[in-house]
Formats: sequence, C-alpha cells, structure tokens
Amino acid sequence: MSNVDFLLPLLVAVPMLLSTVPIVLGLRFDRTGWSVAALTTTALVAATTALANAVYATGPVSHKLGGWNPAYGIELVLDEFSALIAVLVAVTAAGVLAYTRVGGPRGNTFYSGYLLLTGGLLGISVTGDVFNLFVFLEIVGLATYAMIASGDGPESAVAALKYLILGTVGASMYLIGVGLIFMATGTLNMGVLAEVLPAAVERDPTLVRAGFAFIFVGFSMKVAQWPLHTWQPDAYQHAPDGVTPVIAAVVSTAYAYAFGRLLYSVFGPEFLTSTPYLTELVVTVGCVSVVAGSVLAVIQTDVKRMFAFSSVSQFGLIVAAYGLVTESAFVGATIHLVGHAVIKAGLFAAAGVIAISYDARTVDEYAGLADEHPLVAGMMALLLISLIGIPPSAGFVGKWYIALGAVEAQLWPVAIVVLFSTLMTLAYSARLLEKMYFTPATPLEAPHAPESVATDGGEDGGDTETAAGADAANDGAAGTRGGTETAALDAITANGDRNTVSYGMLALVVAAALLAISLGFAGGFLAGLLDPSFITEVFN
Amino acid sequence: MPESILPLAAVLTSAVAVVLIVASYRRPNIREGWSVLAALTQFGIVLSMLPGVLDGTVYEWSLQRSLGVEFLAGIDFVLRADLLGLLFALLASFLWIFTSFYATGYMRGLDEHDQTRFFAAFAASLSSAVGIAFAGNLVTIFVFYELLSLVTYPLVAHDGDREARIAGRKYIAYTFFGGGVILLAGTVMVYWLTSQTGTATTAFESGGIGALAEGAATDPTAAQITFYLLITGFAVKAAVMPLHSWLADAMVAPTPVSGLLHAVAVVKSGAFGIARVILEVYGPETIRDLPLSVPGIGEVGLNVPLAILAAFTLTTASIIALRKDHLKRRLAYSTTAQLSYIVLGLSMLHPYAILGALFHIPAHAFAKLTLFFCAGSIHVETHTDYINDMAGIGKRMPLTMSAFTVGAAGMAGMPLIAGFVSKFYMLLGAGYVGGEYWLFAAALLLSGVLNIAYFWPVVYTAFFESEDRHDAKPLLEFPAGGIRQFAGDELATDGGKRDEETELNSDDDSGAGVDSEADYEYAVDRYPSDADVPGGPGGSPAEGDANSSVKTGPETAGTGHDHGHAVAHDDQHHGGPPAGGWTRHSPLTESTWLMLGPIVVIATGAVVLGVIPGHAAFLDLATEIVTSVFDANSLEQLRGPLSAALEVSTQ
Repeated sequence: MSNVDFLLPLLVAVPMLLSTVPIVLGLRFDRTGWSVAALTTTALVAATTALANAVYATGPVSHKLGGWNPAYGIELVLDEFSALIAVLVAVTAAGVLAYTRVGGPRGNTFYSGYLLLTGGLLGISVTGDVFNLFVFLEIVGLATYAMIASGDGPESAVAALKYLILGTVGASMYLIGVGLIFMATGTLNMGVLAEVLPAAVERDPTLVRAGFAFIFVGFSMKVAQWPLHTWQPDAYQHAPDGVTPVIAAVVSTAYAYAFGRLLYSVFGPEFLTSTPYLTELVVTVGCVSVVAGSVLAVIQTDVKRMFAFSSVSQFGLIVAAYGLVTESAFVGATIHLVGHAVIKAGLFAAAGVIAISYDARTVDEYAGLADEHPLVAGMMALLLISLIGIPPSAGFVGKWYIALGAVEAQLWPVAIVVLFSTLMTLAYSARLLEKMYFTPATPLEAPHAPESVATDGGEDGGDTETAAGADAANDGAAGTRGGTETAALDAITANGDRNTVSYGMLALVVAAALLAISLGFAGGFLAGLLDPSFITEVFN
Repeated sequence: MPESILPLAAVLTSAVAVVLIVASYRRPNIREGWSVLAALTQFGIVLSMLPGVLDGTVYEWSLQRSLGVEFLAGIDFVLRADLLGLLFALLASFLWIFTSFYATGYMRGLDEHDQTRFFAAFAASLSSAVGIAFAGNLVTIFVFYELLSLVTYPLVAHDGDREARIAGRKYIAYTFFGGGVILLAGTVMVYWLTSQTGTATTAFESGGIGALAEGAATDPTAAQITFYLLITGFAVKAAVMPLHSWLADAMVAPTPVSGLLHAVAVVKSGAFGIARVILEVYGPETIRDLPLSVPGIGEVGLNVPLAILAAFTLTTASIIALRKDHLKRRLAYSTTAQLSYIVLGLSMLHPYAILGALFHIPAHAFAKLTLFFCAGSIHVETHTDYINDMAGIGKRMPLTMSAFTVGAAGMAGMPLIAGFVSKFYMLLGAGYVGGEYWLFAAALLLSGVLNIAYFWPVVYTAFFESEDRHDAKPLLEFPAGGIRQFAGDELATDGGKRDEETELNSDDDSGAGVDSEADYEYAVDRYPSDADVPGGPGGSPAEGDANSSVKTGPETAGTGHDHGHAVAHDDQHHGGPPAGGWTRHSPLTESTWLMLGPIVVIATGAVVLGVIPGHAAFLDLATEIVTSVFDANSLEQLRGPLSAALEVSTQ
C-alpha cells in the first residue's frame, strides 16, 4: 500500500474548509471567490490524479478516519470504480470554472457553495460508509439548492424549492433504508456490510429487502428516474447557465455512482439476482425512464429543459444496466456515467454560450445558429452526435457495453430498449441539429444581434441607460418570448461583460466536445481500468 | 499479413481533404482543387494496392497493433484491403474523381449556397465509404456505416427548405434505424454468439467466421435472427423494400449527390455490407445449414426469403418507375430495382450468381452515374426535371442524351454494355441451381423488359419527338384504367365540399389553359408529392414558402391563392422548352465541359466494362472473391448445382 492515502481525507476536507475563505476575504475584497476556487480545484485535480494513479497501479487505497476500526469508524476508500468518478468530479469542477470566470454567477458566496459542492461530491466518491454517504448526499443537496436559487428571477427560487423538497424526501428515504439495514446487520461500513449481509438476508429477508426498497426509491428520486424526475427539468432549466454544467455533469453522476456502489459493493450481485423481482424492477424503472425521458425531451421547446429530460433518459440507461447484473453491463454503466457527464457538461456550457451571445433559449430560436456561431454550433453538433451514440464517441462506447450486457443476460426487451434509445435520442438531437444548420434564421431574432448588446459596454453611463431602456422597450414589444425578462434585466443592470463570450467558455465547450469524441477510442482502456481487478472481485 | 498504412491512408486522404476544404472556403477554385486532388490521391492509393491484392496479399492496419489503443474490449479497429474491399473502394474512389469535376460544374452552374459545406460533406462521405470498404470487422464497418449516414445528411437536407428538411428527417430516421439499431443489434449478437463457443470476435473471414458457424450449430434460432438483423441493417441502405422509400425522397439533394452517393457510394455500401455478411460473416455453407422451417412449406434456406424480397423489390420498383414523371425520381426507383439485382444475386448463393452480383456493383455504378449526370446536366442547362417537358431535347443536348441512351441500355442489360455481363452471370447462377430458382431468373428477365419500358420513352421523346408535336405518355398522363372524363366533370361541378383544393386545381388548369391539353389530368396533378420534388428553381426557398402558404388553410387563402397561381404559372414555363422551341446545339457547346467530360468518361467506362470486362479489373476481382470464398482454384470448378459448388469448398 502506498502512502498516498493521507490525501483521501484532504480531498473532502480541503474544499469544505476553503469554502469559508471566499466569504471571509469577501469582507475586504470584491472578487476573490473565483481565484480561491480555481486554486482549490486545480489542487484537487492533481490530488485525485495522483490517487487514481496509485489505485490503478497497486490497487485500492483506503484511510481510516481517526484510526477507528472500520466496523465502527468511518473509512474512506478509493478503488477502481470510484477513482474514475473522483477524477471526473475534480476535472469537471475545475473545467467549469473556466466558464463562470466571465459568464457565471460571480459573488463570493457562490464560490463558497461551489467548493462545498465539490467537497461533497468527492465525499460521495470516496466514502466507504453508508451513513457517511447520507451526510455527503445532504451536503451536495444543500449546496445545489443554493446554487440553483442563485439564478435570476423567481423561477429559480421555485425550482430550488421544488428540488429541496423532493431531494430531501429522496435522501430521507435513503436514510430510512440505511436504518433498516443497520437494524439487520449492526454495521454501516460498506466492506463489512458486504460480508455480513448474506447472513442477515437468511435471518430476516424482509428487513433487508425493505431496506433495499427504501434505498432504491430514494436513489430513483435523486438520480431522477421517471416518474420521480420532476424536480430535475426545473432545476436544470432555471439554474444559472454557469451552474447547470456542474449539476448536470457530476451531481446526478455522483448519485448514480453511489447507487451503483450500494448495489454492487454492499448488496452484491448475488442478493440482486436471488431476490425475486428485484432486477426486473430495477430494469423496468430504467427502461421506462429511457422511453419517458426521450419522449418528454422531444416535446420540449426550451433547450436546457430538453437536455434535462435527455438526462432522465440517459440515466435510465445506466439504471437499467445496473439491473442487468452482468459484467459488460456494469462496465457499460460506468463508462456511460463518465461519457454522459462529459457530453452534458459540454452541451449545457454550449447552451449557456449561445444564450449569452445569441439570446437563444428555445429550439426555434436556434434557427440559423450555424451561420452566426459556426464554432459553438459545430461543437454542439459534435456533442449531440456523441449523445446519440454515433461512433466513435463516448456515447457509443457506453451503449455498446450496455447492449452487450443486455444480450448476455438474454433480457431481450431491455436489449430492444437500449438499442432503440439511439433513435429516441436522435429524435430530439436531430431536431436541434436541423434547426441550427438547415433552418434559416427568422427576422424575429434580429433585435438581439450580438453587436447591439456589445455596445452596451458600460463605458458611458448615460448612453448605456438610454440604450438599455430602448432595448427593454424593444423586448416588451417583441412579446413573450422565453428569456426576454432576463435579457431586459441584464440590459437594465448594464452589466456589459456579462454578455460577452470569453475564451474560457469556448475552451470548455471545445474541450468537452473533443474529449467526448476521443473517449470513443478509449472503450478498451476504460474497460481495462475496471475489468480484471474490480469486476472479478464483485462478480466472483 | 503485412502491416500496412495504405488502407488507413486511403480513408484519411478524404478526411484530410474535409479540413482543407473548410479551411479554404474563401477561395472556391482552391477548395474544389482539394476535392480533385484528394480524389486522385485516394484513387492512386487504392490502385497501388490492386496488384498485390490480386496476388493474394491483404493489406491490414490495426489500431491496436500500430498505436496500442484497444477500441472496445476484445475488439480491434481494423482496416484491411482485401479483394472484396478493394472492389468497392476502387469503384468509389475512381468515380469520385469525375464526380468532383461534375459537382464543380453543377454547383457553380446553379450558383448554389453553402458550397463549402457541400464539398466538405462530400469528401467526408467518400472517406466513410472507403472506410466501409476496408473495414476488417463488423464493429469497424458499423462505425463507418454510421458516419456515412451522418455525413450524407447535410447533403440530403442541403436545400434547407421545408421539403429538403423533411426528406432529411426521413433519411436519418431510416438510416439510423438500420444502422444504429438493427445493425448494432446484429453486431452485438455476433459477438455474443461467438463468445459462446470460443473467443468472441466479429472479424471477417473469407467463407464465414468459424466461431460463428459453431455458435450457429449450438443455437440456430439466435443465429438465424442475427442473420436477418445484419441483413436488415444493411438492406435499409440498399433500399430493399419495404425499407426503400427514403431513397426516392433523398432525390431532393443536388444531382452529384444523387449520382455518386445515392446510386453508388451510400446505397452500394448497403449491398456491399450484405455481401460481407453472406460471404465473410456467415458464409454460404453456414447459411445453407440453417434452414428455416416454414409451416406449410417445409424447410427453406435462410437465403430464400431474402431472395424473394429482392425479386419482389426489383419487379415492383420497376413498375413504380414507369409512372414517375420526375426524371430523378424515375432514376431513384430504377436504382432501387437494380440494387435488388445485387441482393438477389448474392442471396441465390450460387458462385456464378454471386459473381454476377459482385460485378453488378461496378456495372450499375457506371451506368447509373451516367444517367444521373445527364439528368443533372439537363437540369442545369434547361431547368427541366419532368420527362413530359423533354420532347425534342435531343436537339439541345445531343451528347448528353446519347450518353443517357448508353446508360439506359446498360440498365436494361443490353449486350455490349456493362449491365449485360452481370445479368448474364446471375442468370447462369439461377440456371445452375435450377428448380424454383427459375422464378428468380424470370424476375430478372421481366425487370429487363420493364427497364426498357421506362427508359425508352425518355430516349424516344428526346430524339424522335418535337416540342410542339408530341404524343401523350400513356402511363403518365392518364389515370390507370383510362380517362374518366365525365366522372371528372361531374365532380368538378358539384364543388363546395373541398373548395380550397378545387379552386386551386381549376386555377392550375386555366393557367395551363393556353394549350390544348388542359383537359388531361397530368400525372403531376394527380401526384402532388411527385411534383413537389425541388431540385432547382422549382426548389428555391421562395417557392417552397409560397407553396406552403397555399397549404396553410382558409385564413391565408386570399394571399396564398395569388401565390399559388403565380407558382403554378411558373411551373408551366420554367421547365421544358423555351418559347421558340429548343435551340439546336452541337455536342461541343451544349454544356460546360466540367459536366460533359465526366459524362463522356463514365459512359465510356460503362461500355468498356461491357465489351472487355476481363481487362477492366473489376471482373478479375469478383472472380477472385468468388473462388476464394468457395475455396476453388478456378471458376470452372464451380459449375454445376450449389451443393457441388459447396463440396469444392470442403475438399
């Protein structure tokens, strides 16, 4: 065992402690939040990479908090499965900062929340204790509520409240489940639980099954599976543009990871397959979400909302893959977790860039985008193509393994849903592609030409005010298009550079798109990370 | 098996060209120069492998061995130039050279928009097509198959009007259903089936994957389903009925696209995929050993349903083509029929039939590309799309229409043109098998007759009729079963139920009322979908809008009505002969040489393939493929019934 395990508690503690720094410094300086967050997340990227290296070279790294025996104390573990997620969280957290530097919410308090969120997410990835997991779920939840609520306008507050209520219900369900499991076994450590659960199942199957049921429902809510997904579209749509990429990319991913961890490391494949109707239920929930999410995505008009429903559908694939209980399906679920996170981060960042520069938020407003913003449109097209799963791309690799898993399990209906999910994803993606590339822009978009916004600059106070007034009047006349209020609000506050697209934002979008494509060639590599060590340990 | 970068280089040549084309978007001459240069380079690379491949060398490039990257666990990303792959790659890259000249002339002649996107997507399509040709396993072919669907979508939706967008939607829905769903399912199943009995693999092997044959023996039902999944996945692009209807709609694309992609590269990739499945995934022997038991009939070969479907398609599509007035649509249905020749030949399993089918890939390509180039040339020069307007056009475009005649003869399988050779071998194959296979031979012969029936009117009206005096085309201008004039009048007089439509129709008639044929009901009027196919001035966005505004309903009737009238009026005049009739042109001045040159070269190619097929590489390749699949030393060994031919392979 290498001596990198001291990094594990730091992964969680450092961002959480540092999250107070922006507030303290904020008493004296105006804009320190971003720098603190940037430094912290960069350090976290380095730390997680070092840890992941150690994990893939020599095997899992673990750390006993306070030196307590795992049976009673809290253990932090990083193994082949969680190392991927930890690196993903750290990299995404650092990457999205490139967007928020210019575009996102910029208050010091925002970055406090951001660091808290990062710490919580890393906590979910590394914890080896089921109750500790609940704590981190709550930390992540609270940070997310705050960040969603920091959006402009009343809808954000409502969306945050809705998420608050449903998210807390989900977490409470999980807690009840943990309580029941604790009753049955007397331990909370995942590793120990895995050993003692089979005996507990024999002693009192109902108790364990009830515990599982609560955990499953709790996570269905957290991962946003149909019909418990209703918080998600609102949350994604109304969160500030700079926040959505993080939430969409890693928050749901971390939840789904935690669910997978519980299924495979705590309950174990044997419990899953031997309990009647269990896998059928999990698979059904997943498949229904795939279909319902896609159908709902197709009928949306708001682009961010459409992507949110797309997440419901994509996480449906992952949950279905969990339920298949085959090695290929599990590998597929893991790869799809990572791939989907990269793709969605890029898509939401691109949607944010487009909203800033083009003031387009609905699918119809995307008409003619390719001519105005060839780079962003091109990258968005690449990301959508990856999402559909056209090879070589991240989306294809995940789907290949999941489909293979479904065939190996000989669950033909699941295989059919997984394969047809391509067409369903195509339905909403192609709608956007067609709008961007083959639909000429209508004159309606003209009042919001980027130039007129850029002249708002903010150099000359008087001018700006009149211009903003005129803009606002135009907006009023233009009618009730989505985003009009926010645009008017921006104009009135005359916050000029809020409406400029920075190189950081473009870099984030481009990086996500290129990563999504190049992950398409990493199918063997990613499977190799999991395959010999983790998979055999879990499945045999 | 030598490690070679050549297959990868052939694929990357046009992929690099995409970047260069986009980069030089400000300078059209340089941009088109890249296209030509890439086409020549690609053809050169492919050609350089020909001697080696004919001697039995296989050039292979593998992602894992060269870069150490594993594409998917247990599956390598392999490009290998073998006999079958080279046949397709040679064809596509050779024809691309001339198509890039032609496309330049066509796009500039019509002053099209978004030419950079067009040429970039075109080069990308060629890259994917060559990738399909050289793919060494099912996963690799799937990658390129999907990419091909993706990059041809911008070409289909190129016009950007409503019609084109709808055609584009249909196109991607069909192709991704075939590729992303069905073909992927088949590929996963093959991987799973082979993993049952040994190492999981999807790599092609001449004569069939050994592990798959074993897997098929243990689980015949799954193997049969897998076979049909793979075949269906490829059949979508090969436009086998009932999955054919995207092809006719895709004709809204600019003609070079319809020509090279929707008569050669894209649709042939489907036929080529079927060839791979039959010859190198399953192998004729495994297919024969997996009979379906059909209740009431007994056991039939796995290939027979496919052959029946192909025979049905080639007959039905020919009949539909008879009634298409829009020239490109008629050609599209002809393509549907001809592709099924290939599928039929392959699915008869007999070596001679397979030989004919494989040779039909280039034979049809040359002839059909000629026909499409002619149609495009007519469109650019005279804006005529409908056969009805083409009376006497032979005066205006003598060389083009002569080339058209050559291509049409090739389609019909006239001796001395390429199509004859392939059909000859297919008939031989059907004859050797005998029995019920005579029905397939009969379908082939019948389709030849139908080919003449729908191509001859075009040639006849072009050369032997004049614009002011021409006969009505019986199959186009009269409703099936004769004119119901009285019934028609009565219906018109009791008006009021569907007044919107009636009004427009009567207006159309009065617009056309200057000539004496106003009483006839044109095929165009009867089938608005047929007439709505844009492709030039008729497809300009403005007109599309006007049309749609007519259709929006009563509230816009006032304004829409006028538009509709104007458009209907336009339609009468923008196609067809100018006011004073066609002006007589010499072959040298009828069009730009950018378009005439390719037409002449490709038509000559079709004749060369028909007169001296043995000296034009393609027949050699096809023969080698067949002998290697059946493990024979020469073609002569394979004469006789199918079982005897298969015996040769087991010796």
